[in-house]
Amino acid sequence: MREGASESSVTRRELLSMIGMSAGGAAMYQAMTSLGLAADSGYKGPIQLTGAPTGTKVLVLGAGIAGLVSAYELRKAGYQVQVLEYNSRAGGRNWTLRGGDRYTELGGFTQQCEFDPGLYINPGPWRLPYHHRGMLSYCKALGVQLEPFIQVNYNAYLHSSRAFGGKPQRFRTIKADYHGHVAELLAKVVQTKKLDAAVTAEDQERLLESLREWGALDNDLSYIKGPFSNDRRGFEVDPGGGLSGKPVFSEPIGLSDLLSSGLWQALPLCDIYDMQSAIFQPVGGMGMVGQAFARELGPLIRYNAKVVNIDQDERGVSVTYEDTGAAKTRQTARADWCVCTIPLSILGQIPMKVGTPMAQAIAACPYAGSIKVGLQFKRRFWEEDEQIYGGISYTDLPISNISYPSSGYFSKGKGVLLGAYIWGVDASEFTAMSPAERVAKVLDYGSRIHPQYHQEFDNGIAVAWHRSPFTMGCFGMWTEEARSRHYEDLCNFDGRIVLAGEHASYLPAWQEGALMSGLDAIDRLHRRALAGGSAA
Amino acid sequence: MMSFHRLRHALARILIAAPLLSLAGGSESCWSQAEGTGMSSTDRLKTISGEGIFRQICQGCHMPDAKGASGAGKYPALAGDAALASTEFMAITLLQGRRNMPAFGGNGDVGVFFTLPTLNDEQIADVINYVRTNFGNHFKGKITPAQVKALRQSLPHS
Repeated sequence: MREGASESSVTRRELLSMIGMSAGGAAMYQAMTSLGLAADSGYKGPIQLTGAPTGTKVLVLGAGIAGLVSAYELRKAGYQVQVLEYNSRAGGRNWTLRGGDRYTELGGFTQQCEFDPGLYINPGPWRLPYHHRGMLSYCKALGVQLEPFIQVNYNAYLHSSRAFGGKPQRFRTIKADYHGHVAELLAKVVQTKKLDAAVTAEDQERLLESLREWGALDNDLSYIKGPFSNDRRGFEVDPGGGLSGKPVFSEPIGLSDLLSSGLWQALPLCDIYDMQSAIFQPVGGMGMVGQAFARELGPLIRYNAKVVNIDQDERGVSVTYEDTGAAKTRQTARADWCVCTIPLSILGQIPMKVGTPMAQAIAACPYAGSIKVGLQFKRRFWEEDEQIYGGISYTDLPISNISYPSSGYFSKGKGVLLGAYIWGVDASEFTAMSPAERVAKVLDYGSRIHPQYHQEFDNGIAVAWHRSPFTMGCFGMWTEEARSRHYEDLCNFDGRIVLAGEHASYLPAWQEGALMSGLDAIDRLHRRALAGGSAA
Repeated sequence: MMSFHRLRHALARILIAAPLLSLAGGSESCWSQAEGTGMSSTDRLKTISGEGIFRQICQGCHMPDAKGASGAGKYPALAGDAALASTEFMAITLLQGRRNMPAFGGNGDVGVFFTLPTLNDEQIADVINYVRTNFGNHFKGKITPAQVKALRQSLPHS
């Protein structure tokens, strides 16, 4: 009999609910695991906070993912919640730029997004992996529609400026040829009896058979031009119909050229846990998540509020904030507790009454730079000319990625792609440029992969995260050493203040990290509040 | 430089699908190459000094006029900043980083898979001397690469 089917016994849902109410999330999660419901991501299923002490107030600083989820759940639990947000919108790094948007970065450089209706880029996060169960659950609960993000496209390019005369190669040919050559080599090793000591004769037979399958080897265990290799890497002339339909086979790239190209480095990217398929994006842009939370919270969020001082005593927290408008009027909000999700890059500059351990933790985390550039073209030439429908081309040029839109396929009119996703040394150089210079550079680099770039270019927008007025960086870079020294002090309550955000997670830069850190913080806050409001 | 294995490990923890792995035979963990030079961006960075470093790195945050900027937080101005009186303060800041500002001294494992800009002793001295005598600054004295080197050796984790 399936569990829960009997009317006389406690249903599974009731059981979980009872455990959740009496023992908190951890016990709930253990119970779910034993019932086979929860996977091994940190997400414990819907958080169950109930019975907030009457009239208990919580101030949430920052309306990014960590702040939004904290405010949403705390209100549900019965707390009186107020959110202070620097920007005039919710979401923080959860953000989509669309036509009509205006963005002024630090230094006063202003860009107007001129994309056509329905076209966008996500300057920050852009993907939701299948195991980021928290984000996926909230999207479902909030009615944020999700669609597949095309991470792997066998017809997209791998490009090295130093290989194949700078000519981009299709992902499928590099993958097929790399697997084919490696399979052939390993098969040869097996056949020369070099593995006899390690592998039984029976297993060697099985191994050879698997190599033939995996590497698309022919009957002689060779990876050569012909039907087997072309079944993976594609043809010189594809099979067709009638008298003109005879296929022409393509020649695999030689092993030495393949190895020296370095392009094999890009093959395992889609095997990384965080990049594996299925992977999703919100329909209409990642910013739909922040917008959905904002709709739920409504007037609880105070926008254009710049936090300038954070004070606390035994009885509560006082946060002073300044209106970012012309008047610059200051107000002070008071609450019993504070969930502070302000990025450490900014929090470290705000006078804040906390002890040395938390203050030192806040000061110990440098922020990474990163650039994204969205380019609008007059037509979707990557689809029309090159049959690339979504996915990512990788290059050794500073732009590193070209990502084609995972929506609107085959549509007429203009299209927007992500023309660059830049890190490290190149990010410093691109951050130091004006937005127009960044776009021009990205066009030049990209035209080496897609010669159509200059002719088809319409307009572009460039976001350099170190110049973002609301984060001053992309994400907090914890070294293992700094994390081991400061992470607990960062996450522990200091009096009535607790921090949350991607910087307070083991999933740096991912929204799931921000969300999980928010849930972890409010779970602890709730227990303290229930225990009688003692800050200790 | 991170080992390949370590790089993969770090990659798996971080958000990005950029394949900035080392090329076979290459000496840098950054795959990226600057146009036309035939050098990686990291190698090319090694060839610039003083004003070039300011224009390519510092002005990203401290702004082209070195006057800093203000949003939810601020980047301090380098123009007219009294703290620049101390060359040691500047060198330590560049070598070790300060709060949200990353280190430029090449401090080993930064916990990420991409290569952060790394400046040598001569470059650090050069850019300090450049900033202290431009943007309306007229600070006396210079710092030498040997002094930067001595500071580097005296600091932990550098």
